[in-house]
Amino acid sequence: MTLFRLECKTHCKTLLIWMIVVGILTLGLVSLFPAMKDMGLDQMKAMPKDMMKAFNLSDLGMLTTIKGYFGYEYQYVMLATGIFAAMLGTNALSREESEGTISYLFSQPISRIAIVGEKMLANTVLYTLYWLVSMAIAYLVCLMFKETGASVSDLFDGFTQLTFAGWVMGLTFLSVGFLLSAFLSSNKSATSLSLGLVFLTFILGVVGKMNNDFKGLLYASPVDAALPSTIFKSGIEWNYIVIDLVVIVVAGLLTFWIYRRKDLNV
Amino acid sequence: MPVIELSHISKRFGKFVAVNDVSFTVEKGEFFGFIGPNGAGKSTTMNMMLNFIKSSGGKIKLLGKNVPEHDLDVKKQIGYVPSDVRFYPQLRVRDLFCYTLDFHHMKGDSAELKRYCDLFQIDPQKKFGDLSLGNKKKVALVCALIHHPELIIMDEPTNGLDPLIHARLFRVLKEKQEQGVTIFLSSHNLKEVEDYCSRIAFIRSGKLIGVEDLTQVNQNVKVITVKADQLPIAVMEKIGATCVKKTDHEARFAYEGNMAQLFSTLSNLSPQLDDVTVANRDLEEQFMAMYERQEGERL
Repeated sequence: MTLFRLECKTHCKTLLIWMIVVGILTLGLVSLFPAMKDMGLDQMKAMPKDMMKAFNLSDLGMLTTIKGYFGYEYQYVMLATGIFAAMLGTNALSREESEGTISYLFSQPISRIAIVGEKMLANTVLYTLYWLVSMAIAYLVCLMFKETGASVSDLFDGFTQLTFAGWVMGLTFLSVGFLLSAFLSSNKSATSLSLGLVFLTFILGVVGKMNNDFKGLLYASPVDAALPSTIFKSGIEWNYIVIDLVVIVVAGLLTFWIYRRKDLNV
Repeated sequence: MPVIELSHISKRFGKFVAVNDVSFTVEKGEFFGFIGPNGAGKSTTMNMMLNFIKSSGGKIKLLGKNVPEHDLDVKKQIGYVPSDVRFYPQLRVRDLFCYTLDFHHMKGDSAELKRYCDLFQIDPQKKFGDLSLGNKKKVALVCALIHHPELIIMDEPTNGLDPLIHARLFRVLKEKQEQGVTIFLSSHNLKEVEDYCSRIAFIRSGKLIGVEDLTQVNQNVKVITVKADQLPIAVMEKIGATCVKKTDHEARFAYEGNMAQLFSTLSNLSPQLDDVTVANRDLEEQFMAMYERQEGERL
């Protein structure tokens, strides 16, 4: 597990920065809730219905509760989380080749399978840690700013489900990122690919929501499987989760298969 | 049993043939040189040996085991120094040593590590990314040595090293060789190859030109340089000398034959010669002659 430790050490600073930034962002967003809930939402009602659907704002009344408000605001943090997970994945293998460290790593007695396996495990642990801390911060902040009368146990239930769904969403982006990383021999395009991957699937989800003919596209959007507003309203949609798990397994196996056969760029 | 056994290996990148049907063996305890001009296929050959890239054909055996099938077993017994040392810049040197030992499931000998650090003047507390090119190379050398490999593969190991460290490195390598370790050295520095290697393989344009025993090369082949207005090329060729270089008033010949006959011919020619020197052919001379001849054949 030497590479596992090396990988964790390499990323611990990045992880810390992301946790701090997302923590501050969450605090900033949720702290606006007491002021926001008292504001009139009549102006927003003028927006076209499809537009409201696209922004997950179909039920404006929800915005006057902490769950509804958090569910709407936090979807953008979910996008950022998806980008973080995808970046961990796309950089994982390609960075070694891009920075030339592969010549050190691969001259050690470690197989390609072990390289992929230990890196997957390390990045899964890192992402899980990030997500658990982010969710813990979000939960505590929501408790601090919740409206009077809001049920703590109800909030806790919602957060438990969101934590699981968000974790699966991140792992989906992480594993697809890994698959891309197995093809790349440089991490120069890793960030743009990560952004592209998350936004493209998110837009597919938006199209799926706006047009019933394309409803199937919703399944191509891991972010939609973990939208806080949907989770808080109707719980986890297991068909999304199953699709994500299939993507994780297939992408993972393909990564092993491709990396075993790849000519490394040294 | 050979420690390195390459049989008809080749590597194609699309239509480009980088290595073409290369075969040679290296015996246990040998100090073997691998030389060739830039782009000859040296690094590609080593990359195949280390399974960084897959060969397009042929067989590679290291330490008696097939590569890539037994890649992991083989790498437990290999120390590798890359030409371009790019290790993890955020790690301290001591951490790099620890990780290297961890990969080999070894605890490591702190006294030995200290000896290497003192010998190569390495500060283990420094971050790898803050080191100069030469110091990075020294760290790579120590990483290749600390797990006591049976085979050390080095790609241009002395680039960026000062003469003192250079001498110390080869002293350590000689010690290792005496202990039975096989050393495979790829280098552009022909002087160091000539000084330390017992055999060499020449490669050019992906093809193996030859494997030479350096002791034979240096003892048998003489280089004769003559200066004259009328160069005695025909006479020299008559006794079996090969003209390897010629200008208006100077010619250089390679000669591998009877020395009495050579000196008798030179003596007869002496009235028409302005100057003549006879010397052992060094590796550089041999290398240049071989490549000039190949270039001539290509043109």
